[in-house]
Amino acid sequence: MNKAKETLTENRSKFVFKEGMLSSFSKESNFQASYKVYQDGFAGIYYHVGKVDDEEGFRKAQENLVRERPYPFALETGKRSRDKREKILSDQELRATAENCIKYLNETYPKFRCEVTFMGTEYDRRTENDLGMDYEVKDYAVGVSAIYKHEASKNISDGGFSFNMRDFDEAQFRSIADDFLGQYETMLEIPDEILLDMTYYGFTGFFSKHLDGEELARGTSLLTGKVGEKLFSEDFTLAHVVSDEEAWFNPFWDGDGCVFENDELVLIENGVVKTGYADKKTAKKYNVKHTGPAYQDFTDVPGPGGLTLKIKRSGKTVKELLDGRVCVVPVDYTSSGFNEKGEYTMVIQNSMLFDGEKVLGRLPEFKISTNIFDLFGKDFIGVSSDQPIYYDKQLIFRVNKV
Amino acid sequence: MDYNFKFPENLYSEVRMEEKYGIWLTIQNGEVENDGESAEVGAMVRVFDGNMWYTATTNSLDEIQSQLDALAAIAAPNPQIMEHPIVKELDVNRDERFRYDGETDLRKVTRAQWKEILDGYIEKCVDPEDKDVSFWSCGAGGRHLIKRLYTSKGTAIAWDYQCANLGVFFGFTVDGVTSYGGKYHVGMTVPDLLGHEEEVLEKKAQYLDYAKNAKDIEPGDYECVLAPVVTAMFTHESFGHKSEADFMLADKTLAEEWVLGKKVGSEKVSICDVGDMPNHGYVPYDDEGTKAGKTYLMKDGILTGRLHDARSASIMGEKKTGNARAQDYHYQPIVRMTNTYMEAGTDKLEDMIAGVKDGVYVMDVSNGTGNSTFVMNPTLCYRIRDGKVCEPIRVHMLTGSVFQTLFDVDAVGDDFVLFDTYSCGKMGQGVDVSAGGPSIRVKKLSIS
Repeated sequence: MNKAKETLTENRSKFVFKEGMLSSFSKESNFQASYKVYQDGFAGIYYHVGKVDDEEGFRKAQENLVRERPYPFALETGKRSRDKREKILSDQELRATAENCIKYLNETYPKFRCEVTFMGTEYDRRTENDLGMDYEVKDYAVGVSAIYKHEASKNISDGGFSFNMRDFDEAQFRSIADDFLGQYETMLEIPDEILLDMTYYGFTGFFSKHLDGEELARGTSLLTGKVGEKLFSEDFTLAHVVSDEEAWFNPFWDGDGCVFENDELVLIENGVVKTGYADKKTAKKYNVKHTGPAYQDFTDVPGPGGLTLKIKRSGKTVKELLDGRVCVVPVDYTSSGFNEKGEYTMVIQNSMLFDGEKVLGRLPEFKISTNIFDLFGKDFIGVSSDQPIYYDKQLIFRVNKV
Repeated sequence: MDYNFKFPENLYSEVRMEEKYGIWLTIQNGEVENDGESAEVGAMVRVFDGNMWYTATTNSLDEIQSQLDALAAIAAPNPQIMEHPIVKELDVNRDERFRYDGETDLRKVTRAQWKEILDGYIEKCVDPEDKDVSFWSCGAGGRHLIKRLYTSKGTAIAWDYQCANLGVFFGFTVDGVTSYGGKYHVGMTVPDLLGHEEEVLEKKAQYLDYAKNAKDIEPGDYECVLAPVVTAMFTHESFGHKSEADFMLADKTLAEEWVLGKKVGSEKVSICDVGDMPNHGYVPYDDEGTKAGKTYLMKDGILTGRLHDARSASIMGEKKTGNARAQDYHYQPIVRMTNTYMEAGTDKLEDMIAGVKDGVYVMDVSNGTGNSTFVMNPTLCYRIRDGKVCEPIRVHMLTGSVFQTLFDVDAVGDDFVLFDTYSCGKMGQGVDVSAGGPSIRVKKLSIS
């Protein structure tokens, strides 16, 4: 019998400001542990929130072997730790920083009602097993999320912004607030050609599903039978990258305990679908190559998933990608998600017009449509080298106005 | 049931404790895909000094007193705290409401019994030889929760909640495109999950027909008939969120727009929120200890009420409604819906459809959002031509203006259904809710 233990420790301090004033302070300490024992091709698992004695944890995991959760794979070995922490703020420092930011909002934008949360999160994730594996990652970031509403608006909210920083920079907060609030009262007309500027995380989920080895094998993926084909733009390269600098609180190993050569798995390269991905279970079941990643499940055996997808940056700034054009930055929108054919519709209730360097004004509500093959194909313009709006990677692409 | 907490003086303080249990089992294409169980105990401790709240969470109940003391040490003592408008709004209740501590307690249902439920559905609803089905999944599980709230004003309440769920879904691959559909059902006890095989098979047939025959529709404005499950989401998204009073605080524009007594919709429309119904949004007491009840939000098209926590009620000078809810002990309560529905009318579904020359029958929906424009994502729609339901159509999105659409409801059916399948997200917190309504007809909605 082999044993493994996975733990997650998260300590959070949170300051919430409502109507321009500090409303609450929260302090939270969470610890979760998953005890796993492996015997005769099965795993017994015990998940616990809060501190628990290891002996007790493994004993309960052993009892759960009766569930016969199949795991007929050898455990991995290896030692590595990664510490992504840069500057940890004390509660007093975080409060002072947050109050400076709110003071700026109150003084510069008195016509807006804002609810803003500043949360410092310290993260420690570790997996060990009795074959000597010991992987650990530590991270810390201050997350800001803000929702705002103009005094004359009949909306519940007019938009919001959020970002994480490992070394919090008040000037960056002021810059983002200026971008989102500064030109709110300047109404402009919707341009004829619509280029959107967004973070891409809402779009890459399509690939998590449709490049899943199980979906590919059973024929339920839109990409089934298309591995090796060039389906997307020459400029579009997509990879699972565990060392992505804007990936927050993520482990570098997967649920099967596997790590990746150079910390990445390229899935689509220069528009060509290179491979799907398969965890150990999927690889065995469908006789396909094991690539990882596997989702880390504290309550069960791992399954396919857990990707940290990154689109390769273009090397050009937003301004250079736009090449004299302007783009739309949606700030309050709802999408249909991709339907079964890969089609996508979005209602953009509030947005800003942006020239790559400065926000020009606000646009009225409109709808757009696209589909996954156009978005990352003929309409894909690129991911910028800079990040002037979101403090995160920015995807520029063309869409159709409905 | 009392815990002898020593609440700090000159502060308002409270302890909210939770005991949570969950179990789930999913069988996918004949193999066990998920099989898990969890148990968790935790508490949120809050202290209020009149200016701000100080909170802490813990999974060790023996740390609660020390957490209280630590928060009190950083708060500013306020001898007048009991006179603070928010604190004055908070009731003192002492009660125990345990509905599910007998034979219906989901914690007593063994994994073998859950498996038996799934096997029953699989036997009756899944045909391994069915060439139309490329994927199927059958899952069931349950959650049980005990909540306790103790406050420095003297409240000591405890109550339980649970829900059981069942989902049977199919994937149909036609010409390389896979669409999914099936039946998701939520009840409060295991018997609620039994006997829905015919509904599963009916949904399977509808979604297979959709996969094979759905046509695209020209985007535009259409007269629409909404099935009860769609009305339920429409009610929640289009009007429910606008009724949450925390959005209106310190906001003159919204306060004037949503003044009580204003006509905001068709006289056929009445909407209410009921916290103490034993459904998915059941909260006999909210997370501030206020007893929940029935609140009419709209009566015959007139705005008659809104949802409050103690803070919003005190600021707006309105009666609190018991709608302060937190996702769990990690979160502070905010104003939320509970069981929210549009009341039944007298119109017949067949008459509504017969009155449409060229429109859309929206039969099922997956999710939605609500602001001044509400958005819903339908999963099953049919074209209506000359008063008859015709071919299935593919609709990505259904949208409308909250301010206009409620006036555009010109028929309200007598076929009311309450759905326990909903959950609601707001400000990063998800809570169980139910939503309901009858079939309705709306003169104009935007389809794309």
